Amino acid sequence: MSIPFWRNRDRYYRMLGSKCQKCGKEFFPSVLVCRSCHSTDVKDFEMPQSGKLLSYTLQKESISGFEDQEPMVFGLVELDNGVRVVAQIVDTPYEALKMGTKVRTVFRKVRTDGESGQIYYGYKFAPVRVTSH
Amino acid sequence: MNSRVYILDVGLTRVGDHWKSSIQELAYESAKGLLHRNSRSIPFDGLVVANALSEISSSQQNLGPLIADALQLDNVEAIEVEAAGASGAAAVHVASKMLSSEHWKKCLVIGVEKMRDLEPSKITLAQALSEQAEYTHFFGMSLASLNALLARLYMSEYGTTRDQLSSFPVIAHKNSSTCEHAQFRKKFSRDDVSRSEIVSDPLRVLDCAPVGDGSAAIILASGEEMDAQQRRNSVEIVTSESASGRVNFFERDDMLEFMSTKKAADRAFLKTGLSIDDIDIFEIHDAYSVGAALICEALGLSKRGEACKDAVSGKFDLNGQFPISTFGGMKGRGYPVGAAGVYQFCEAFMQLKEKAGFNQVPNARRALIQTMSGIDSSCFIHILSTQHKG
Ligand SMILES: [Zn+2]
Repeated sequence: MSIPFWRNRDRYYRMLGSKCQKCGKEFFPSVLVCRSCHSTDVKDFEMPQSGKLLSYTLQKESISGFEDQEPMVFGLVELDNGVRVVAQIVDTPYEALKMGTKVRTVFRKVRTDGESGQIYYGYKFAPVRVTSH
Repeated sequence: MNSRVYILDVGLTRVGDHWKSSIQELAYESAKGLLHRNSRSIPFDGLVVANALSEISSSQQNLGPLIADALQLDNVEAIEVEAAGASGAAAVHVASKMLSSEHWKKCLVIGVEKMRDLEPSKITLAQALSEQAEYTHFFGMSLASLNALLARLYMSEYGTTRDQLSSFPVIAHKNSSTCEHAQFRKKFSRDDVSRSEIVSDPLRVLDCAPVGDGSAAIILASGEEMDAQQRRNSVEIVTSESASGRVNFFERDDMLEFMSTKKAADRAFLKTGLSIDDIDIFEIHDAYSVGAALICEALGLSKRGEACKDAVSGKFDLNGQFPISTFGGMKGRGYPVGAAGVYQFCEAFMQLKEKAGFNQVPNARRALIQTMSGIDSSCFIHILSTQHKG
């Protein structure tokens, strides 16, 4: 997993996706060919840092490597540019989540590789706090 | 060119625990009766093995020659086909094209999967391999969780209740309760499903297909080699179509439409001139309740958003308008991932040859088989037909 992780660092650290230079459409994960107009003139493009929750789940059966984080909350997020992603939702009780909850990107540890000891980091989402003052 | 393709015979093992069997032994188990019954006077030209997870479960690749060896199939072309959950149907798709193009005259398709040797978190990972690794299970997300996100979206969009969603596992288990080769021969009520343990909220254990070992085998032949008697005893594969689409469901313009299933089914109906009203049974890839609903809608068995209501009303029961998963489907019969598609063909064959026992749909003449990988990232549609008696 370490080489793919290194290769994807910018995608995981900054949510680097793509923007079509011809029609302007934005994508994440990044694309090689524009899905809208099929232009190959696509450039790296950073995703917006906020969006809203379209769906969410509490995962109680872990995937190998994540047993110590059970249970995990995951969400389907629509970013402010309309791009949809799935990611872990943190810093909130599961019960507080609703469809439409505003979220922002946070940068967190994903897991420690059991074999190599390498620590993986990446994007997650947290609800936007409404400040009272 | 373009010979007709027939299924001559089928064989299968019960889905469940086969601790004592290796992959080769399990494959032999499903095929031995059928090899015994069908003399090798016409030799086999090919063997197509369907499997998805042998690298993980058994540290093994190259199942084509390994299984040809075990079955003493000399002089066959032995190949393996992997298409995640659709491997079984993809193998039949490949085999049927080999036969219709007259490259082969007769062949064996064997689906085999061993999952029960794996510990639970490894199984959860194995099931997720159909999804784009770098953006889903890298972050710890399971296939059940992706389906759960989809289920919540579906229920919210259409106002579907938890109770209504539970109707698909109820149908599956009603049918598997009388199926000898099913992993679970037990009925459940909608309440049982709705109150079963949470896997990925809102999906419960009984919304998700169980984990099992299994193997199923079919003999296929081109019509050129067969006499009238053999044709009467066989079932024709009238069409074999496939389509693929966006892997990540969350990247689709319409997240609640199974486009691969819709496209492949449209092609199958266009080529044959048939419509859903000409089909007597539907074997569908109902590994998750929400998937079952979206499949019924993509096939046109229900209007969009109404599949769960239709399921409650009895439309998909064995005696309903469109019987589905007649031996329990992925949910009830069980889901040995790469082999599961071949089970569907065995079951459709048994229905069309009136060998379905308690599960028999009277006068079933045509069957549609829908098999998909992941969350409808690819879909295979086969239509099977048998001659009328007399
Ligand atoms: Zn474009």
